[in-house]
Amino acid sequence: MLELHGLRQTFNPGTVNEVRALQGVDLTLEAGSFVVVLGTNGSGKSTLLNAVAGSFFLDEGRIRLDGHDVTRWPEHRRAQLIGRVFQNPFSGTAPGMSIAENFALAARRGKPRGLSWALAPNLLGALRERVAALRMGLEDRLDNAIGSLSGGQRQALTLLMATWLRPRLLLLDEHTAALDPKSADQVISLSDQVIRRDGLTTLMVTHSMAQAVAYGDRILMMHRGRVVHDFRGAEKRRLRPEDLIDRFDEIRRREQLDEGAATMLSDLYV
Amino acid sequence: MNLLLGALTLGLILSLLAMGVYVSFRIFSIPDITTDGSITLGAAVAAVLLVGGTSPILATAAGALAGAAAGALAGIIHTRFRINALLAGILVMTALYSVNLHVMGRSNVPLLQATTFATQGERLGHTLFGTGPLHLLGWPVAPGDLAVLALALLAAVVVGVTLYVFFRTDVGTAMRATGDNPQMVRALGADVDRYTILGLALSNGLVAMSGALLAQYQGFADAQMGIGMIVWGLASVIIGEALTGSRSLGLALAGAVLGSVLFRLLVAVALRWGLNPNDLKLITALFVFSALVLPRFLARRRGVAPTARS
Repeated sequence: MLELHGLRQTFNPGTVNEVRALQGVDLTLEAGSFVVVLGTNGSGKSTLLNAVAGSFFLDEGRIRLDGHDVTRWPEHRRAQLIGRVFQNPFSGTAPGMSIAENFALAARRGKPRGLSWALAPNLLGALRERVAALRMGLEDRLDNAIGSLSGGQRQALTLLMATWLRPRLLLLDEHTAALDPKSADQVISLSDQVIRRDGLTTLMVTHSMAQAVAYGDRILMMHRGRVVHDFRGAEKRRLRPEDLIDRFDEIRRREQLDEGAATMLSDLYV
Repeated sequence: MNLLLGALTLGLILSLLAMGVYVSFRIFSIPDITTDGSITLGAAVAAVLLVGGTSPILATAAGALAGAAAGALAGIIHTRFRINALLAGILVMTALYSVNLHVMGRSNVPLLQATTFATQGERLGHTLFGTGPLHLLGWPVAPGDLAVLALALLAAVVVGVTLYVFFRTDVGTAMRATGDNPQMVRALGADVDRYTILGLALSNGLVAMSGALLAQYQGFADAQMGIGMIVWGLASVIIGEALTGSRSLGLALAGAVLGSVLFRLLVAVALRWGLNPNDLKLITALFVFSALVLPRFLARRRGVAPTARS
């Protein structure tokens, strides 16, 4: 479904702020797989997601999605294949517009927009039904501005919007990180439910070990712009949060060792 | 009464300007100075066509289209060339000054002999009510003036309703969302740049239509007539928001119309009381400044008050 070949991206090249965010990422996602991306801060996990979404064009590498080479597609064109939920609950919805109007926009994701009435009656009917299924009591408040809702409610609605038209790929970018624990639980289990029900190919970034272990069928661990571990199948199912923490410690130790070795070598020979 | 009638008519004609400014300033959060140039462009194009014998409706539409093109140009400069929206507007406004002079061929085109919406309105008034003064609530009113007022009202209502319907369609909803949250609009597959260009075209189209009608009402187009128009539009939008108090689309559009009318009434009264017309723009600018600053200032005062008491 999604194929990434040799993705490389450096931000602010040649300056003191140079960040080598992606340093050669190769990855293939099978249709219907739910992949969790873990990583330390600055490991490039969000950059990876943004590269797939098309927020910037890559320095190097190719992206194939659903049989299309989307490497040079602008963000809004890729949106016909991709549904997204952002980390910031404010990013995924238009705060000044009503819940219904936000969904009217989502219902035309990647489709041409014409002069037909946005709040079509059949859309409203389906919307009321699906929003009622959230059990947040929002089905009677469809005319309220979305800006008046809590972060958790907005993320739940953003998820519903992103998956309203079945996306070929769902991108979840730490979409529970900004929520209180209770809302985070609600949103993550809702996500899991929708992903399983529709069999969505999903790439989810998180820094919660617990979420990584509990959800999805494959874990990618990223560090310094590379995929350093890829757990899947039985190995993924056996993983516990402690195992993941061990792996991270291991990476950190090896890195310190590398730096120590480099200093020693330079002391001796340079 | 004639003063009142004139202020109402002018307010309704300039309500198209106010709705245009509402689109750029409130929906897209862009204070678009192209307005100052496009209102003159609309007047100039319409005036030249009217002198040439074109029908008022066609001339007004042509003026509006010219303004829309100018707005689209500002939008293209802003989005495709990544130039600050304010600067893009300044560039187009400045360029339009020369363009307007070229369109008119001189700095002023009088419309004394031409058939305009105002002369047609007057003729309509005379055929409906005769030439003698009518008595409205005990005041003598010229039937021609009344008919022109009715036409201006018709224009404001038709444009307002069309705009409202447009902003509730798929395209219009996406346009409003573009101003609200561009990142979300991109993620939902709409081209933010395209909608911004379209929005500025729409805004300046309305502004230019207002200019075309204004030229016909006052009987001339002038190269200087656009100066400070953006601030008048802002003043109307702000007064409208104070009147309707709501950010909902329908009320906001109605507010822009009401704000424009009320603003012209206030201006007429102030001038009648002996305000020096030269000071009008200074006072309008001060008014808009205080309307923008006052809410923040009051909020800070409210925030401070409880701590001062404790």
